Amino acid sequence: MAPPSAESSSHKAAALLRLFAWLWALVLIACILGLSWLVRDGLPVDTRLTAMLPEDRQSRLIERANTQLGRGFEDRFVLLLSSQNLKADTQTLARALSDAGQDEGHDKPRLAKIDWRDTDLIDSDPRQALDRYRYRLLTPELQHIIDQDGGESLVKPALRNLFSPTGQPDPVADPFGLLERWLDARDISPVQASDGLLTVTLQGNPHAMLIGDLAGSPYDIGAQQAMTRTLEEFEQDHPQATLLRSGLIFHAAAGARQAQREITTIGLGAFIGLVTLLLLVFRSPRVLAQMMLPLACGLLLALPVTLMLFGRLHLMTLAFGASLIGIAIDYALHLQCDRAVHGRDFRLGRLLPGLTLGLVSSLLAYLAQTLTPMPGLRQMATFAALGLLGAWLSVVLWLPRMRLPSPAATRRLADTLWRWTTPRRGLTPMSALIGLLLCSALIGWQLTSDDSLRLLNPSPETLLDQERQVQQALGSDTGNRYLLVTAADEAALLSRLATLGDTLDDWIDEGTPMRITNLADSVPTPRVQQENLARVTRLYGQPLETLVQQAGLDARVVERALSRLDDVPVLDVATWLDSPLGSSQRRLWLGGAETQESVRVAAALLVQFTGKDGQASSLEQRLTMLAAEDDDVIYVNRVARIGELLGQLRKNIVWWVAAAVVTLSLLLIWRYGRDTWRVLTPPLGALLGTSTLFALTGIPLNVFSQLGLLLVLGIGLDAGIFSVEHGRRASTWLAISLSTLTSLLAFGLLTFSATPALHYLGLSCLIGLAMVWCLVPWVRPSQEHS
Amino acid sequence: MRTRWKPLRRALVLLMLLPGRVLAFELADLQDRLNRTEALKGRFEQQRYLADLDTRLKSTGHFLYERDTRMIWVLETPVEDRLVFTAENAADGADEGSAAGTGNDRQRQQVGTLLLQLLQGDWQALQERFTLDVAGTSDAWQVTLVPKAKALRQRFTRIELKGAEHLDNVALYAANEDVLKVRFFDQQPFDPAATEAANGPAIR
Repeated sequence: MAPPSAESSSHKAAALLRLFAWLWALVLIACILGLSWLVRDGLPVDTRLTAMLPEDRQSRLIERANTQLGRGFEDRFVLLLSSQNLKADTQTLARALSDAGQDEGHDKPRLAKIDWRDTDLIDSDPRQALDRYRYRLLTPELQHIIDQDGGESLVKPALRNLFSPTGQPDPVADPFGLLERWLDARDISPVQASDGLLTVTLQGNPHAMLIGDLAGSPYDIGAQQAMTRTLEEFEQDHPQATLLRSGLIFHAAAGARQAQREITTIGLGAFIGLVTLLLLVFRSPRVLAQMMLPLACGLLLALPVTLMLFGRLHLMTLAFGASLIGIAIDYALHLQCDRAVHGRDFRLGRLLPGLTLGLVSSLLAYLAQTLTPMPGLRQMATFAALGLLGAWLSVVLWLPRMRLPSPAATRRLADTLWRWTTPRRGLTPMSALIGLLLCSALIGWQLTSDDSLRLLNPSPETLLDQERQVQQALGSDTGNRYLLVTAADEAALLSRLATLGDTLDDWIDEGTPMRITNLADSVPTPRVQQENLARVTRLYGQPLETLVQQAGLDARVVERALSRLDDVPVLDVATWLDSPLGSSQRRLWLGGAETQESVRVAAALLVQFTGKDGQASSLEQRLTMLAAEDDDVIYVNRVARIGELLGQLRKNIVWWVAAAVVTLSLLLIWRYGRDTWRVLTPPLGALLGTSTLFALTGIPLNVFSQLGLLLVLGIGLDAGIFSVEHGRRASTWLAISLSTLTSLLAFGLLTFSATPALHYLGLSCLIGLAMVWCLVPWVRPSQEHS
Repeated sequence: MRTRWKPLRRALVLLMLLPGRVLAFELADLQDRLNRTEALKGRFEQQRYLADLDTRLKSTGHFLYERDTRMIWVLETPVEDRLVFTAENAADGADEGSAAGTGNDRQRQQVGTLLLQLLQGDWQALQERFTLDVAGTSDAWQVTLVPKAKALRQRFTRIELKGAEHLDNVALYAANEDVLKVRFFDQQPFDPAATEAANGPAIR
């Protein structure tokens, strides 16, 4: 048997490649089918930031509390209207809002309900539900009066109630009107009924209140537009009226509007720039299509597999997945540049090591993050790694089979670029090391970080101001700060809440500007309820007889009233929350919660700071200290917590990427030996350089600028590897230049976005990618790597 | 957020106490009448029927009404009490033993504003909440108000006003079958400015 000739072995390799190309096509078809099945009910997207983070039992309870406290603020909005002609204008506005959206052929109204008449908020009578419990519920004032004189001083007011026209006497069930007083003490709403409207007073002026319940989601673009337009038209028609808006839908609408504006300016600008650039270089629309093919294939692989592995897609994954395009296009660019410049001499084999190493390095950087305990980061990394793999496979298996023109213009361009941008001398390892140390020192000394929630909030200042005014007028508590209290059973929980409530009430008496919402104020502990019943029994002795006698009522009334004191049930949390008045406190009750040891009950005690913004920190400290005294009490600040989560995410990314870079360096040393520093200088130099610039100019680092730097790292690594692999080739330098320039157009332009998150992502890309491009020519080896 | 309607009921009761001269039986005419009444004073006799005890509680006193300004209600027997309703502060200086008050300031404010709105015969506003029915002749007219909202109907079923030269009788039928009836007599218009000086202390 003759040994296989070189020709036949290359034939075999070609056949194998062809087979793989077909297999890859089959895999993609399977992916398309899989994806269309997975998204048959729409793309399952998760917007919760906290879903990105590791779960532990304690935080699960906090998570539940946060969800529960936030509910009801999402599908609802509040408008406050002030006007000379309040009644008529309110009517007009209410009518316009309930008609909103119907004129454009939308069959269903946008609002499920709009409340604005004074009768709109009447709920069912709270007295019925609490009828039998009333003898165990006494206001502190009544407790005091009965303790003082047995209740004799309550006789006179009870008599008045019997005879004045405004009274609602019920001599048998409640001769002293105990329940009425208790209910009055529960009612602290600033909303008044006036002139047939619901009004609140803001800065001394009456404002009409309108409460809208959305029929759909606040993120529904149609609903957003209908609401915004209706309000704007109203404002135009009533220039003398002022309107204050509060509600997620307005913030979402502002965000959507801004995004839309930016897509049409920044997005379109970047797209036109990209297309022009690629056309200029390659002179063929077919090449453009070819560049996009690997990207599409990458997404096609990443989407269904990620969905299958994680069940749902996080919004951050999608956002970051988009930035993947920047790296994925590298492979196609390198292949195309080489082919365009070398024409018929093009061989895939020569590029393959660089392409492969580029892929492996990026995969390592991302896959390192799949080892983190953070589910969100794992998902982002998986998505990115799969996307890159898909793009790489398409480039290697498919692109070489497509015949494309290799115009002389591309070759000339590559040569010109080479001549113009090649420095006479290179960088020495020593100067690179000095630069590294200098940058590190500056970063360590000056770089700050910012994990505040503001980054995620694109709302304009005027809208935030309106929101603040409305919240202030309504005294409504969005449940931002609260004490989370757990206990072994309901009685223990109520008594813990009551003790905490007493402490906080003392603070309020001392002048601390705050308000609290405490379940224990409405449901007294069983012990207090027992004491109250004893007080009422005392009140129903001599005072009741005096009352009945003076009113000239039948003596049997005393007997009948007393008989109602037998078997008075104890008010428990469930009964209270089911009553019409208690329903608004349902969000405070977390019920049974599993913790490490046993089943426990939990509730939130809301604390609302009513002082000036920025002066809350001393209250924060006191609350944290108060909670620290007791293992069963946790102080939670929802906004601060999200900031903390962002910070955790940011730090985790840093450590895992650092670990990945170390591993990667070992791999690079194995291949490039003493030239390794040349590979690492563009990506690491750009990262350090950007961070140093941030440090010097005082721009804080945040999670989004860091995501941008991750992209810089990926593109920088590709650039470093190719520059060392094929350092002396003009085509490689053209590919590297195009790769940084296209990503600059796609992401660097986001610097001009008004959304903070996008702005920072763009800014770090802009600076980082520019630095990658500047660094590569200085660290080129003097000869090709063999 | 919650709005309680006991105040409205009170306001209505008080409204019904107001005398008015009605010549024709259109709501608009009635409104004109009521708007023309500058000030009135007189005596009242109130009877509260408690269905549960099958008992009637009687009380008497006098009242004073100044359009756009205030309403003073002075209970004389069997207990003494004084309520003042104004547009700004519905229970101004009244109800001294505030431990007795079954309503808070906010509710009184609601009563005050609603009351005065009603006193001016703003039937338009009333019609948002009630179905109004006018019957009778100018010598014996009758207005029946039935609440429109279900929540209100759960508290009281209807209000009846009867009058001739002035409003003479008001009856409020509660859902629990209690009935509050007020009869007015010795009603006469007066000059508020003069009374303020001469009779003010006497009212108190």
